[in-house]
Amino acid sequence: MALLTVDRLTKRFEGTLAVDGISFAIGEGRCVALLGPNGAGKTTTIRMLTGLLQPSSGAIRLEGMKPGQDLRAWIGYLPQTPAFYGWMTGREFLVYAGRLCGLSAKEAYARSDELLARVGIGAAGKRRISGYSGGMKQRLGLAQALIHRPKLLILDEPVSALDPIGRREVMTLLGELKSETTVLFSTHVLHDAEELCDDVLIMSAGRLAEGGSLSGIREANRQPMMSLETEGDSRSKEWLEGWLKRLPAGFEAASATPAGARLIVRDLETARRTVIRELADADVRVTKLEVGYTTLEDLFLKAVAHS
Amino acid sequence: MDNLTNSQWISLIVPLLIVQLILIAVALTVLVKADRTRGPKWLWAIVIVLVNLLGPIAFFLFGRRSD
Amino acid sequence: MKQWFVLFNKEWLEILRSYRIIWLPIGFIVLGASQPIATFFMPDILASAGNMPEGAVIRIPTPQPFEVMAGALSQFGVIGLLLVALSGMGAISGEKASGTAAMVLVKPVSHVSFVTAKWAALLLLAVLSFAAGYGAAWYYTASLFDSVGWGEVVQSALLFALWLGFVGTLALLFSSLLRSAAAATFGALATAAVLSIASSSLPFEQSWNPGRLSGLAAESLNAGAASPGDGQGAVWLTVIVTATAMLAALAASARSLKRMPSND
Repeated sequence: MALLTVDRLTKRFEGTLAVDGISFAIGEGRCVALLGPNGAGKTTTIRMLTGLLQPSSGAIRLEGMKPGQDLRAWIGYLPQTPAFYGWMTGREFLVYAGRLCGLSAKEAYARSDELLARVGIGAAGKRRISGYSGGMKQRLGLAQALIHRPKLLILDEPVSALDPIGRREVMTLLGELKSETTVLFSTHVLHDAEELCDDVLIMSAGRLAEGGSLSGIREANRQPMMSLETEGDSRSKEWLEGWLKRLPAGFEAASATPAGARLIVRDLETARRTVIRELADADVRVTKLEVGYTTLEDLFLKAVAHS
Repeated sequence: MDNLTNSQWISLIVPLLIVQLILIAVALTVLVKADRTRGPKWLWAIVIVLVNLLGPIAFFLFGRRSD
Repeated sequence: MKQWFVLFNKEWLEILRSYRIIWLPIGFIVLGASQPIATFFMPDILASAGNMPEGAVIRIPTPQPFEVMAGALSQFGVIGLLLVALSGMGAISGEKASGTAAMVLVKPVSHVSFVTAKWAALLLLAVLSFAAGYGAAWYYTASLFDSVGWGEVVQSALLFALWLGFVGTLALLFSSLLRSAAAATFGALATAAVLSIASSSLPFEQSWNPGRLSGLAAESLNAGAASPGDGQGAVWLTVIVTATAMLAALAASARSLKRMPSND
């Protein structure tokens, strides 16, 4: 069952289309990555979902929400760089956030203490936020997004501003959280999406380039692939350049890598034989010949490049 | 003009001085305890003590940093 | 309503923690008390200035007590107004710039509550500070000159408090419209100055002009005058226009915040 349904959502900023009529649905309990390069419209989409930005057109529906009800009561949101009142303590901010969401004072205190411990800053709860590090603020941001047990947790680039250790810690936390609630998070790092998510939505230039379950997309776009690298000496380079121009039948597409090329092939067995023969004939100084299948990264690069 | 005795005079001026001293004392305490200020601390100390009324207020408004 | 008090409590806590609860009342008390003291010692000060010809006699008529109080009001009308505007500096623009407004407004919080809670806390602080300062002015005036009647003082205080509240509301409105806190403070003070100057210098009747309020407050201190300005009805008109303008400013402020809860 779809928890969130987005229908032809569009945002126009003074003539430019930041988000161009995207439609998708998020199933209850799923963990979804909104993937795309910087400037693809991820943050704009998220800001419309959270009610911070009015869409130019299109509709956002949450399952079970009656018309006229406040969408915001159901959503927990962590912005890219969460901002806090530096003069408050972490605990005070959580209680404040909880009470704004309608919790009673007693509930808000209990929930705040629980969440502070949960995100691993229990000891810092009584300190002023002005003294917190970036990682601590990110954790506090996660805690405040969860304070009212939202049905949908929306995170905008939750780990991109963190150092590797902070990144690992927050990723682990998210891994735990995704079993409790529906999560939508944006990222420009494919690896993060692959690590956590069930579903991906790939955005590029304001449009949805690809969407579906991670395994489904991987399966549907799996193609035999061959990767070739040489030592980079002038003779090998020349040969590769020439060969790429007159690719034999069965080699479909090619993309250049720093030391060689990646090729999508029709049939692995014949392709392998052809390449090895040609390499031997031309006496190319090969360093690497890899035969396998396209990864999600190939798809990501292709989807992003095409639109 | 001479109808004020010394003690009346003191009873009028002293409360006003005390209030101003409280303001200066609080401003200096905050200044000393602050981790960071906008501009050097010694300069703020001079402003707080020497600029009547507006010195401490300027410090509270512009001198503190809490982000 | 419960949520409104949560927002208001946060604003008040911020007023306590930023020491505004200390400096704004003290600022008003010092201003209010200084005026009677300075007026009282003015002849002495002039005499000791020393550049008087030998044997010159300075005759300054002792001012009426209500004139001294009116002097305190004119201090509040300039420096007091500046302090109030500064105390509300960046109230909304700062939260928009830092992103805290967005953090709060993604919660199910009404934009009107967000603005009015700030407004109420700001005005409560301003009115309490003014009351303390005016009380000081009253006490020193009574001690050094003569007492001024309750009725006149309360009436003038109410009129002046409305003027302060109006300027505080303007500061909040500009703070939600402009990015720069300094520009917002300046805008509010400049608007107040223009209204005030217009009310006293333009030749035609301006019952609608909130800038009249400080003048009305000063006039109503004089028990001898029949009734301030051009009659009680005109005073009420000014009060109603000012209150309506404040409501409109709050609505505009909430609307602007709803359209743009953060700068980026």
